[in-house]
Amino acid sequence: MYKFVLPVVEFTEEHNRFRLEVREFLQKEREKGTYETRCDSWLNGFNPEFSRKLGEKGWIGITWPKKYGGSERSALDRYIVIEELLAAGAPVAGHWIADRQSGPLLLRFGTEEQRKFYLPKIAKGECYFAIGMSEPNSGSDLASVSTRAVKTDGGWILNGTKTWTSGAHHAHYMIVLCRTRPKDSQNRHAGFSQLIVDLSSPGVSIRPIKYLTGAAHFNEVFFENVFVPDENLVGQEGNGWKQNMAELAYERSGPERILSTYPLLEELIKELKENQDLPRLTEAMKLVAELNSLRQMSIGVAKYLEEGKDVGITAALIKDMGTKFEKLVAEMTRLLVNATPSLDSEKTIEKYLAQSILHAPGFTLRGGTTEILRGIVAKGMVAQ
Amino acid sequence: MSEMRELMVELTEKILKENCSKELVDQAEEGIWQGKLWKLIEEAGIFTIGISEDSGGTGGDYADGFHVLRLVGKYAVPLPVSETLIGNWLLQEMGLQPETNPLTISIKKDEFINIQEKEQGFLVTGKLTKVPWGRFAKKVVTIGKKEDETYFILLPIEGASIEKSTNLAGEPQDTISFDQTVTELQMKFVNVEGLIEKVQDLQGLSKAAMMSGAMENILDMTVQYTREREQFGRPIHRQQAVQQYLAILAGETAASLTITNKAIEAFQENNDVYELASARVKTSSAAGKVAELSHQVHGAIGVTYEHRLHQLTRRLWAWREEAGNENDWAEKLAHKILNDDKSTLWEFLTRTGSKNPVG
Repeated sequence: MYKFVLPVVEFTEEHNRFRLEVREFLQKEREKGTYETRCDSWLNGFNPEFSRKLGEKGWIGITWPKKYGGSERSALDRYIVIEELLAAGAPVAGHWIADRQSGPLLLRFGTEEQRKFYLPKIAKGECYFAIGMSEPNSGSDLASVSTRAVKTDGGWILNGTKTWTSGAHHAHYMIVLCRTRPKDSQNRHAGFSQLIVDLSSPGVSIRPIKYLTGAAHFNEVFFENVFVPDENLVGQEGNGWKQNMAELAYERSGPERILSTYPLLEELIKELKENQDLPRLTEAMKLVAELNSLRQMSIGVAKYLEEGKDVGITAALIKDMGTKFEKLVAEMTRLLVNATPSLDSEKTIEKYLAQSILHAPGFTLRGGTTEILRGIVAKGMVAQ
Repeated sequence: MSEMRELMVELTEKILKENCSKELVDQAEEGIWQGKLWKLIEEAGIFTIGISEDSGGTGGDYADGFHVLRLVGKYAVPLPVSETLIGNWLLQEMGLQPETNPLTISIKKDEFINIQEKEQGFLVTGKLTKVPWGRFAKKVVTIGKKEDETYFILLPIEGASIEKSTNLAGEPQDTISFDQTVTELQMKFVNVEGLIEKVQDLQGLSKAAMMSGAMENILDMTVQYTREREQFGRPIHRQQAVQQYLAILAGETAASLTITNKAIEAFQENNDVYELASARVKTSSAAGKVAELSHQVHGAIGVTYEHRLHQLTRRLWAWREEAGNENDWAEKLAHKILNDDKSTLWEFLTRTGSKNPVG
């Protein structure tokens, strides 16, 4: 039987001092006007200047070896940095994916040259990556991906389309999951590879897709006979599916799957406290208790990831629950305060509520839908 | 996990797995005292975990005790294990000797026993309601009043009249009445408010641990059932609708276990801020979902008395109300937030607010 036992993690005084250092920096930057707090800032808050500042602080790629531009700090230190950034609703979308999954993927599967080339730039907050998984005809069924790379002299010729690519219009590179061998009817997961594609290469075109608010933060990305040099193959040719699954564990387990609407929760509690409204504050505490539970799980997974444990199934479980929680924050807030959601409201809580409601549909789709995640969890349990 | 804890957990699991059968729990529900199982648990030293060997206990700490209680919940043990264990912890704090006979606890705001001291002994009068396992316990830990002073008392139940009642799981929940009963008793002067708070925390956390244990078992049983049961020519776990339920069950169970483990550590370190209340809110609200979905997956067989499932789901329904339901604990948490008015929610949650200054 699959056991979801997670370690109990205690932050030390030293951790807390570091947390306050990060918090103080964020407060100062907000006061300076570098950024404005918003919900879902890890996907919508693009600010190259801010990313660069975090890089200068050593807070991007914070766990990576120093020789690759990292700070060799612990997974818990990283956890502290990213949850402070999210709680503050800071604009981290630029470097987020590179820091979260592309960098760690290269550390684990990349060549020494790849690490030396990409990681220091990522850590400086100057190099952004996009995710190259979904395609127009491959959403939840990722194994049906049909983007194809054919071997040529010194590299690969890539053809196909990726879609729903957040931040591709800002990103420098994409890690593309593609077929390098024909379909094997016996094994759907065989024959995939991951390629690093320079998005400024000839043959790459990027077309914005407007989100339901009218804002454009995701894209369709077309590859037409794009040449990708041999040295841009990540890991082993044919091992792409397995590598991609490892990448997804990084993508799914982090606190951004719990805290996308946190700034709204903070405002809700602030308002109920000001009103000394015990009955509604009591209702709101059910959200707080849920958050505490999810946060402990997520911290536990961060610890296990650092120890090299396979957390794929638990990560799927937390992402499923966390994104449901993010939505619940918005749904409960509207019933607990007198607020009319509006993106251009003068009232902070109305603005955050609007951001949360309008972004909510994406929470349980991106990074694996609720239904797919639950399938992974159930199959994982049944198989053991 | 310490070596001591690992040993205690392993030993308890072995005893309960081998001895606490479906039939035994059925018998207990019919009103038969399970003395053999009691003896096994006693001999394993479970009732005095958290009490030093010098004081006649098994050693270990509170956290060890709570991890054992998780197993008591997992196997639906039909005995006052948590009451006796917590009762002994209270006795220890009061400087009294631990008991190995069944104990129960009745520490409530508005209920107390009037005590008069006479030549022939103490004369006690008063009514205690919804006392867990009252009919089987030898003594009750409760509050006594003598000449306007309040006391922690350890009172023999023999001589009291007992009105039987049960909770949703069929566990005794009796009314015990003393009417000018002559008895011996042990008493210690106590601050009642502090005692009530302490007992709420101890009982609240023990129920959180027991509920997470029960959920763990329910999850295992349900996954196993979906492997065995076939419909439409294949095991039901192959159906997506069933998979969705299994995942929700797993999530509620894992979250309950994780926050409860966190609360146990915080309580042990005397460092609880929001962990215990969160664990109670989470486990009590998860209890209903876990019971509902596990029954849904099990279908009609799961609602028969014949099947073991109800021994666990009925306990979840009973326990989520005991020692405060999720509303009561959410209100406690709300008071904590209101009392820490200088901190933001984030400072409160990360323990970096005005009440937890970082050195």
